[in-house]
Amino acid sequence: MIYFDKVSKIYSPTSIALEDVSFSIAPNEFISLVGQSGAGKSTLLKLLLAEEKPSSGKVFFESHDVHNLPRKELPGVRRRMGVVFQDYRLLPHKTAYENVAFALEAAGAAEEDIERDVPQVLELVGLMDKAWHFPHELSGGEKQRVAIARAIVTKPDVVIADEPTGNLDPVNTQDIVTLLEKINDLNTMIILATHDKNIINSLHRRVVTLDRGKVVRDEERGKYVL
Amino acid sequence: MDQITFKRVFKWGFINFFRNGVVSVATVLVMSLSIFMIGLVIIGSIFLNGVITSLEEKVDISVYFKAGSPEMEILALQENLQNNADVSSVRYISQDEALRVFKERHASDDLVLQSLDVVETNPFSASLEIKAKDTSKYGDISKFLESNSAANLIDENPDGEKKITYRQNQAAIEKLATILTTAKFAGFGVSLMLAIIAIMVAYNTVRLAIYNSKDEISVMQLVGASYAFIRGPFLVEGVMYGLLSSIFTIAVFYPMFWWAGQKTSSIFGGLNVFSYFTANILEISLILVGVGLFLGVFSSAIAIRKYLRV
Repeated sequence: MIYFDKVSKIYSPTSIALEDVSFSIAPNEFISLVGQSGAGKSTLLKLLLAEEKPSSGKVFFESHDVHNLPRKELPGVRRRMGVVFQDYRLLPHKTAYENVAFALEAAGAAEEDIERDVPQVLELVGLMDKAWHFPHELSGGEKQRVAIARAIVTKPDVVIADEPTGNLDPVNTQDIVTLLEKINDLNTMIILATHDKNIINSLHRRVVTLDRGKVVRDEERGKYVL
Repeated sequence: MDQITFKRVFKWGFINFFRNGVVSVATVLVMSLSIFMIGLVIIGSIFLNGVITSLEEKVDISVYFKAGSPEMEILALQENLQNNADVSSVRYISQDEALRVFKERHASDDLVLQSLDVVETNPFSASLEIKAKDTSKYGDISKFLESNSAANLIDENPDGEKKITYRQNQAAIEKLATILTTAKFAGFGVSLMLAIIAIMVAYNTVRLAIYNSKDEISVMQLVGASYAFIRGPFLVEGVMYGLLSSIFTIAVFYPMFWWAGQKTSSIFGGLNVFSYFTANILEISLILVGVGLFLGVFSSAIAIRKYLRV
């Protein structure tokens, strides 16, 4: 369903972020991308989101080559991917509820659907009591749960999580991972980029290891090995 | 854009404006300064033109005729002058009328009136009072009079010079003409410069306000918001910046011109800038609101383009 076809991203001859990366991800799969900082995990996700263009190669989301989409079709494809970032990236002037609702509003959902789905998702991430708080009034873990709620409220085909636990304590980290597993159980593909050894070893899922821009290991029930 | 998106764009434009609090107030204040400058330029140039026109209207030349000149010939010369392209108006003042005006003007001065009685005859000459379309044309009109067939009717000074007041006032008229032309050019140049500065300031202010939101814009794009859905609320905010700034500026102008009108009307020969302002308040308000809306929306539209490329 997602296919990286000989993808390279070269910023300069001395700065090669990705080199000839090819692998595919099946629907409903939970895949972890591991590697040290600078290994190319975030770059790979940015290429999937069409936030950056590859120097060579192609990235397919289903049959769409995401870098050759007409400008108007890109938002539609992005709505099918939920994104969670290490720094949460919530809209600072919107409440938790509004941040989640924004994804649905952007997708053109009807008001009654928004009023039904947003409380449900906030309930799922355990934040209904803080629905009307602004991001600066929430803790790191709470912000990340809002970000996950926003990522899943549109019922995307894939949730992309780039170091979602990077700023969190162990308890919150475990909460977030459990949440991602729950989302995967509801038949949503999860792509998790992390360098947290404990998370990877507890997941027992597919692990793709990147080192200096290359895929060095791709195991079905992988462990954290660098 | 469908109806529901349109509604949401407006809703978020309004909400963002108020939630951005300090940034919105700062933007409105700086934009008000820009609109204030543009308003001053517009009102200033209208007023300056008014002052120039009123000064030009005060300038005229008179031609005095020898006693006993046939009225028919003077009237023929008047008609001749009226057909001249440089001439705006010509007024004939007969000897009797000149006497009457003199008496009216000195009605309270017995000594002057008694001295008229001593003279017994009417000492005043018939004259033509000529106004040119342009102050720089008085020289040409004067030459035209001197070379005209009726020139021999024009009275002469003891030293043989024709009695055309242009002669006496030539230096003053020419100086005034130069000042007026320079004032028009300088006014236009200064206006243009101030307007450009004001536009640049307004544009950069809105750009800074949007720069503040550049991370938000990239998040919105990654969440899958369409370009129109992202851009819309910023344009609505631009409309609010423009509208509030222009209303604020008009509210400042009112007392300011009231005060300025009282203090300066004597300088401008009785012309009152406040009466100009109140007489044209609807047009001025429309222009300022129009300028405000244009600046707000145009600046927002240009500024947001830059951040919509992710």
